[in-house]
Amino acid sequence: MKFRKLKRAAGIVLSMALVLGSLAGCSGGGAQESGDGGAGSPNQAGSGGGKQAMGRFLEEDVTLPIVLSTVYDMKKLEDGTIRILGDNGDNGARTIWDSKDSGVNWEKAFDVPAEIQDQGDGYVDHAALSSDGQSIWAYNKIEDDAITQILYLVSKDGEVSQVPFELPDAKGGSSKSFEDGEETGDGGAGMVKNMVLDLCFLDPGQVLLKDISDIIYQINVGDGSVAHTYDFSGAEDTHQIYMAGNKLVVATSTEVLVYDTETGEQQQTEEALQKSVSESGMLTAVDTVDAGESIYCLTGNGLYHYKFGGSVMEQLIDGTMNTLGAPAFYPIALTMLDEENYMVAATDLNSDALGGITLLRYTWSADTPAKPDKELKVYSLYNNRELRQSVSKFQKEHTDVYVNYQVAMSEENGMTVSDALKTLTTEIMAGKGPDLMLLDGMPIKTYMEKGILKDITSLFQEDSGSYFENIRKAYQDSEGKVYAAPARFFIPMAQGGGAYYTPEEDFASFTSKQGVLANMQPETVVEKFWYSCGASWQKEDNTLDAEKVTEFLSQLKNAYGEYNGSAIEDTTAVAISEGGAVNELQKVSLSWGDFDLAFGRVNVNVGLYGRMDYGMLDAVNKKLGQGDYGLMPGQAEGVFVPAMVIGVSSKSAQPETAEAFVKYLFSPQAQKVSQLGGFPVEKESFRSMVDGHEYDNRDSDMRLMAGGSAAGSDEMLSYEMVPTPEEDIQKITKMVESFSVPALQDDVIKESVVEQGAKVLKGELSPEEATDAIMQKVNIYLAE
Amino acid sequence: MHGSGKDYREKLKKAPSKDHGNGKRWRGALWILPSFLGVLVFYLLPYADVARRSFFGAVDNQFVGLANYQAILGNTAFRLAVKNTVKFTLICVPTLVLLALACAVVLYQSKYGGVIKSAFLMPMALPAVSVALVWRLLFHSQGLFNYWISHFGMEGRDWMNGQGAFWILVGSYIWKNLGYDIVLWMAGLSGISENIYEAAKVDGAGEWKCFLKITLPNLKPSLYTITVLSFLNSFKVFREAYLVAGDYPHEGIYMMQHLFNNWFRAFSFDKMAAAAVLESGVLLVLILLLQKAWDSGVE
Repeated sequence: MKFRKLKRAAGIVLSMALVLGSLAGCSGGGAQESGDGGAGSPNQAGSGGGKQAMGRFLEEDVTLPIVLSTVYDMKKLEDGTIRILGDNGDNGARTIWDSKDSGVNWEKAFDVPAEIQDQGDGYVDHAALSSDGQSIWAYNKIEDDAITQILYLVSKDGEVSQVPFELPDAKGGSSKSFEDGEETGDGGAGMVKNMVLDLCFLDPGQVLLKDISDIIYQINVGDGSVAHTYDFSGAEDTHQIYMAGNKLVVATSTEVLVYDTETGEQQQTEEALQKSVSESGMLTAVDTVDAGESIYCLTGNGLYHYKFGGSVMEQLIDGTMNTLGAPAFYPIALTMLDEENYMVAATDLNSDALGGITLLRYTWSADTPAKPDKELKVYSLYNNRELRQSVSKFQKEHTDVYVNYQVAMSEENGMTVSDALKTLTTEIMAGKGPDLMLLDGMPIKTYMEKGILKDITSLFQEDSGSYFENIRKAYQDSEGKVYAAPARFFIPMAQGGGAYYTPEEDFASFTSKQGVLANMQPETVVEKFWYSCGASWQKEDNTLDAEKVTEFLSQLKNAYGEYNGSAIEDTTAVAISEGGAVNELQKVSLSWGDFDLAFGRVNVNVGLYGRMDYGMLDAVNKKLGQGDYGLMPGQAEGVFVPAMVIGVSSKSAQPETAEAFVKYLFSPQAQKVSQLGGFPVEKESFRSMVDGHEYDNRDSDMRLMAGGSAAGSDEMLSYEMVPTPEEDIQKITKMVESFSVPALQDDVIKESVVEQGAKVLKGELSPEEATDAIMQKVNIYLAE
Repeated sequence: MHGSGKDYREKLKKAPSKDHGNGKRWRGALWILPSFLGVLVFYLLPYADVARRSFFGAVDNQFVGLANYQAILGNTAFRLAVKNTVKFTLICVPTLVLLALACAVVLYQSKYGGVIKSAFLMPMALPAVSVALVWRLLFHSQGLFNYWISHFGMEGRDWMNGQGAFWILVGSYIWKNLGYDIVLWMAGLSGISENIYEAAKVDGAGEWKCFLKITLPNLKPSLYTITVLSFLNSFKVFREAYLVAGDYPHEGIYMMQHLFNNWFRAFSFDKMAAAAVLESGVLLVLILLLQKAWDSGVE
């Protein structure tokens, strides 16, 4: 009895503890999350405790007095000089330049001797530097209809000597013949028995070269003798070779092997390095500052440091915060100046420089925050390479901004569009959504109506004459407000001979020619014409016009004729799509049907056009005799396909930064980025992409033979790499200026139309039955 | 049971102190407090927010009065989803409850009932994804079902994109939940004393009369539980429908959950809130009616 009160009190306390404990369990997560500052970069370590971590590598461009069209190697020499091997972009001369002040000032050391210069009897693919300034050059000499490999050693001061080494024939005797630089099959002119595919200098006096059968030869440059060979022939993956002191690092996309070049023996597997590489991506460049005790290496994810025998590969630079992670950035050489400064020579396909050669220096800045103060979240359903490239460039100019680009759908996560959009909805409503969205594949009009997108009209009031306003303001509402704007676009285009296609003909007359669309994949045909026709189906009350859908399917069926599965299997488009990873836009692109049209497997080529390839258009027209190209016929007129549609979230935490990024995306600098994601809406960038100016300086007789086949046949189509004639530039510009209607971008309707439409083309359903099925689904969707 | 409650109350009345009695009453309340707080925090308050949102705009949060209710009642997709859901429930729940009862009675009398009962429970152990995969294999236009019926000269069709889709959904629901309901019915059956049956048989009652006059009345308390659980399980069939046919299935199997799912994706929280309030109101009435029937059964 005397414990009754105690028991009661204990009961109450326990009950309250239970309740409070459960509630605290919920709230604790939130507190922790806010303390972390949200999703961060790998450099956020040490940011806990409310104190901002400091120190970050900053990127800057390095300028040489000349433009290099090719870089073979770059290295810091024993005396501290930085030496670079390359081709002079002005005259093509192979040249060597030095900098004695960490890349600030450069002076020419010498042009390499005449034996290695391009004299019409050969060419150089690979060269490498040693730490004492010597260089080794692999010269492909063409003589007697055969290509032989000669190794030249050039001393620090420019004296040349030939290394007495003869590259053995490729393993398996698989000699290949080449004509005009292109492989043509076994035997015949220009026979190559083996080639050097990679080259490294191993100090002292030895080089390592890899041949086409993935055998690595360790050669003494003095007498040409082979010290060791490392045989990787028969392996499926290609092996890249790098040197670190006396260690040979052999890397594939999945593994890294280390060899002792003194003994030729493989060293113990570096588990941590192996594991990190499989997570961080393939090594693209390697250097060392401590004679191979540790390595610095580049991957697509940034710069890493690994000490041999260690347990972790440390990330020093997050590639997403600078150019290192850009999609078209391919490092050639990494040169560590010291532990806080390094340089990278790379090919950046989106660089304005000739050949895309870029030299960058990275310097450690101790007083710069490890992670930029501002985080801008950018979201898209699909990976967008133009955006990724622009993110790199934008961050370079705005070192206080970290652009966190999140892609919802990938091959790995297997997420559907619907799932991704539901997750996005949750995040936006929870206040954790993106600041800026790439609206491709999203219900743009719904988002505009629901107030998800911010009014960004003010960003588009200047420079209106510099843009295709008919495209940039395609989503302008009745009050003139802009909530979403396409930064790029595709042209629905068609090409064909006069008997089947005439530019500017309407959909009814085009489809009245029975069989004009024969032998194409039914799903692809429906999808392509969905773009040029779908925009005319939606009525004012937001429902679909069933009559127009039936008319579309009936006319398309007439143009398609009888379904012939075996003929479709022979087309190049099918062969390419079966060959590997293909994104949705590639399947409907015009360029996939070039060879099918040129070689008569299809009568007309239709599809979306997002990159000017005048040479191919012209080549196909010439092959057809009287071929021509123009807009794809459609039920709606003036239709274009918007791409890279940009919108700022109305709930953005960084609205000003988001708007600054939108402005950047529409600037000429970002618009000139081209990764096959469509034409830019900025006129100057558009012209620069269309005019083929990159072919201006090419010799008039420079032609490229292009091969393509669906079933292994030797079809060849020659085309000239020449600037686009002014007449064609004007023609395609007028097409763009005629656009007035954005194609209907609604995946639910498109999927339904493609599914049922394909059944019509295959003869499984009548147009009326297919329309009923489409309307049944779509009407529910539209009624929601 | 009632008698003991009455004794307890009388004891309370005879308690020496009034405060002491109140204390006991509050002590009981304290014990349910944790559970009640959970319900309050995780159900009642969110529900109140949903009810509030049903009168406001989706993203701008501006008061719109009854506009959201008007919008959904005039929305053809909502009406279709309600019609299908009601139709599905009215067909499935009684069918399942009666079929399970029949099976339970037969199994209860069989000496192998226990083993067979376990077999009936197997479908419940199957993941929804596996079931959806089997559906696809079976009912695709080029699926196994069409192959089988072609042997009887029947023409195949795309079952999931026609009126057949609804009946496939009904069959799937019954197949999956039959075992569970059988177990529940058998638990109810085991609670009926054999003595009652023996006494009735001594008085000359046959099997059918025993079933009508003894089994059914004694199973009435189980009816409430089984019906409510069957009703709630009927919502779960959406998983299979969604996995097989996606966001926009054939209109015959377009349910409330499809609509809610799609509204969520399109930020139509205003419509979702209004529809949720209406639906919860209907469910509350139904459950109260069932409870009333149960209470009368107990008395």
